Amino acid sequence: MRERNVYQTEIMPAPESRLRIDNQSGAACEHYRLRPPRPLTESEKRRVTLLFGGATWKHERLMQGAMERLGYKAEPLPQILHRDLLAGKDYIDAGACCPTAFTAGSLINYLRQAVAELGPQRVVRDYVFLTAGGCGPCRFGQYQESYALALEGIGLPDFRVLLLDLKGIGPGSFETTVPFTLGVFWAFMCGDVLSELEYMTRPYETVPGETDQVLRECVELLYGAIRNGPDTGGRYRTVLWYLCAGHYRRTLARVLRKFSAIRVDRLRVKPKVKVTGEFWLQAHEGDGNYRIKQWLESEGAEVIPPVYTAWCDFLIQARRDRAWERRGTVRGARAVAMYLVVLSRLLHRAYDGLRASLANLPAALPSQSELQRLAAPYYHYRLEGGESYCLIGKALHAYRHRTAHMICELSPYGCLPNTMSMGAMAGVLRHYPDLLYAPIEIKGDAEVQALSRCQMNLTEAHRRARTEFEDALRRFGLTTERIREHERNDPALCRADTRIPHHGYAGTAANYVAEVAARLGAR
Amino acid sequence: MPKALSLWSTHRFWLGLLLELGVKPRNIVLSSDTSEAQFRKYAKGRVAVETCYPAKCLSGHVGQLLLGQRRPLDLILCPMVYSLPSFIAGRVQDTLSCSRDMGAVESMKSSFLDEGGSGNGRLLTPLVSLGEPAIAERQLAESLAEPFGVRRRDVVRAVRAGYRELREFDSEMRDRSMEILSCCARQGSPCIGVLGRPYHMDPGIGHRIVDTLQRQGYPLLWNQYFPKDEALLRWLFAPDLKAGFVSDPLDISDVWPASFSSNTNEIVWGAKFAARCPWISCVVRLSSYECGMDQPTHTPVQRMVEASGTLFFKFGDLDATKPSGSIAIRTETVLHYLAERSESILSQKRARLPPQCPLTQIQAEVG
Repeated sequence: MRERNVYQTEIMPAPESRLRIDNQSGAACEHYRLRPPRPLTESEKRRVTLLFGGATWKHERLMQGAMERLGYKAEPLPQILHRDLLAGKDYIDAGACCPTAFTAGSLINYLRQAVAELGPQRVVRDYVFLTAGGCGPCRFGQYQESYALALEGIGLPDFRVLLLDLKGIGPGSFETTVPFTLGVFWAFMCGDVLSELEYMTRPYETVPGETDQVLRECVELLYGAIRNGPDTGGRYRTVLWYLCAGHYRRTLARVLRKFSAIRVDRLRVKPKVKVTGEFWLQAHEGDGNYRIKQWLESEGAEVIPPVYTAWCDFLIQARRDRAWERRGTVRGARAVAMYLVVLSRLLHRAYDGLRASLANLPAALPSQSELQRLAAPYYHYRLEGGESYCLIGKALHAYRHRTAHMICELSPYGCLPNTMSMGAMAGVLRHYPDLLYAPIEIKGDAEVQALSRCQMNLTEAHRRARTEFEDALRRFGLTTERIREHERNDPALCRADTRIPHHGYAGTAANYVAEVAARLGAR
Repeated sequence: MPKALSLWSTHRFWLGLLLELGVKPRNIVLSSDTSEAQFRKYAKGRVAVETCYPAKCLSGHVGQLLLGQRRPLDLILCPMVYSLPSFIAGRVQDTLSCSRDMGAVESMKSSFLDEGGSGNGRLLTPLVSLGEPAIAERQLAESLAEPFGVRRRDVVRAVRAGYRELREFDSEMRDRSMEILSCCARQGSPCIGVLGRPYHMDPGIGHRIVDTLQRQGYPLLWNQYFPKDEALLRWLFAPDLKAGFVSDPLDISDVWPASFSSNTNEIVWGAKFAARCPWISCVVRLSSYECGMDQPTHTPVQRMVEASGTLFFKFGDLDATKPSGSIAIRTETVLHYLAERSESILSQKRARLPPQCPLTQIQAEVG
């Protein structure tokens, strides 16, 4: 049941407060107007707590470190739960896509708890919520209004929701600096490589729970390194420091040493499932996507997690394409396009540097040009919004390079752009009928249907992984016993930090057989 | 051309362009209005995903052109419109199309892979940024020159002719709206403002809901063609300009800062206009089932209108089915309140504005 305006008696009335009432300027002032949130003043910056959310707990913890390093008080919202969806749906306009409903609900539930403990005035004074802005064409950039509506609904209309927008489009924007942006971005990249390491290790760990334990230690290790990093100075020195200093790489090398203690059994035959989809849902690890990655692992699969850095690269590419299209018609467009090319290369270089610290275990970022080329017959690269060509491009990339047995695409119910690329996938499947593709539309409250749909494809993926493994054994004339025997002579093969190169098979076990064969010289 | 989605606001551009390219008027074929029969016959089984009804209907329109003609068509032009020309461009962040509007073409194409001779050979789907004429010229020159067998510069000339045609049509429609308002001002009578997307004019999508109201004697003004006479706008927005809430009568930054979607921007501006225009005593909002771009605007638009005392009625979740019974009951309610409240709403809204009304002045001058 709705509990609208529960705090209305304690602070300003909710709905009316959003209308500016000014007796001096006459009757026109009764018209509806947005009241932009109060900007953060200099004195407030170190006092208020910046709430944020939307990423995995690992990424959020590292982002927290990056913000705290600059003197901010930062706190991630709690892990998303199903009850957040219910709260969100109750307070924002019907029909919102589920990531927004989950996020709004999570904020509502957190603030309700905070109000109960601290009182509404202190919550409004001491907390702000940071969220990403957007500039279309998807409605993502318009959701600040929905958050405002939800806050009004619980009687906190003066609570500030600030946009983390590099363009700084308005008074409701959070002023980002170069150290802030790069700090948060590097935290994301570290979270990405760590996630990849986690997902490629856990399915093969010989001691259940060991990976999660090491992961927690590593997240805290990275958090401490990020939080206590040196002062990088001004804008240009900061850029140079991030590009050249080995602070993060050294810490990741320590992470790798911790992972090296985990023993793995790569002879377990598991289908590899590449998770793609909408930005929020694909990376999420809570109730927001039915914990589908954990579920896939429990069903015997190895998950290839999506990385935020690839999404940033996609955004850079989209802006580059837009600028390039304007060359000759808009002044400076060509220079902007060139600048974005350089930026993308720097991003790849930085990411590769972090991967190298982890023995190149995490995969390299895909080339956006290749994804565009692969998707071109089915989806125009300039159709912006959502993940655009990426969904088709990534599916075909995994299929052609044989890096996964199955694609699991997660899209929110009602997602404007992704439903269109899911529709275009029908054409892809007609040309690639053996591409195992499970499009899952996530409503947030239809878990059984979503997972059972995924299960059907997963059964076939299991069969393919097994066939591929047996083919590899036959091809190289090996048996599992012979491989076990070799493992005793070469124990490094059973360590999580040993890289098994790609030998043309999608599955880890088949590639492992090929690697052992190579080491034995048994071609 | 399929008469669907953004074609409802840009058809004059395409007609102007095709005529300039030398296509004879009798050779330009538009699909029919959306209908359940059209959808059943040509789109059933082809819509791969759950999406809004107007986007689903595109397959029906294209199917009708591809499969339902006595003589096969030479070319089916189904543009992916990236951005739209908008009368408030320059005051907003951008004028982008809805992402489904542009992406629906690719989704639709995948469902017609087996028809149309060599794949989709007869389907021509250029991406075009109509909101930026210089870029549109280049995009269309690249994509249309070869299929139409003309030089690129001929296409550029045709694009310019298309924009000219669109501007003239737009201006004519706004003049007609101005005439309606002037008539209302002269007679002190109310009219109805319709807030919707251009395709809600399609009888199969808007279900002729507002026609019922018009038949009862209430003139309609569609938000796409609200007048933008400068004197009128400066008069309506005078208090806002004076107080510094906006820098220009077409500015919507005071109510909608995330102004990148063209049709959404125009709906929001339309709500502001309707809230201030005294003779618009009632606003009818039309919205299709699962329209994601409308969704975040529902409450703000309603508040914009209702804050001024103007009546607000929303017909939402419009789908393939025309719910005649409920439409009849709702229109009866609308008519009841219009009859009961229009006079007081009109006088209240008029009292908030400066005394010198340009509409009545024009009348006086004409008289």
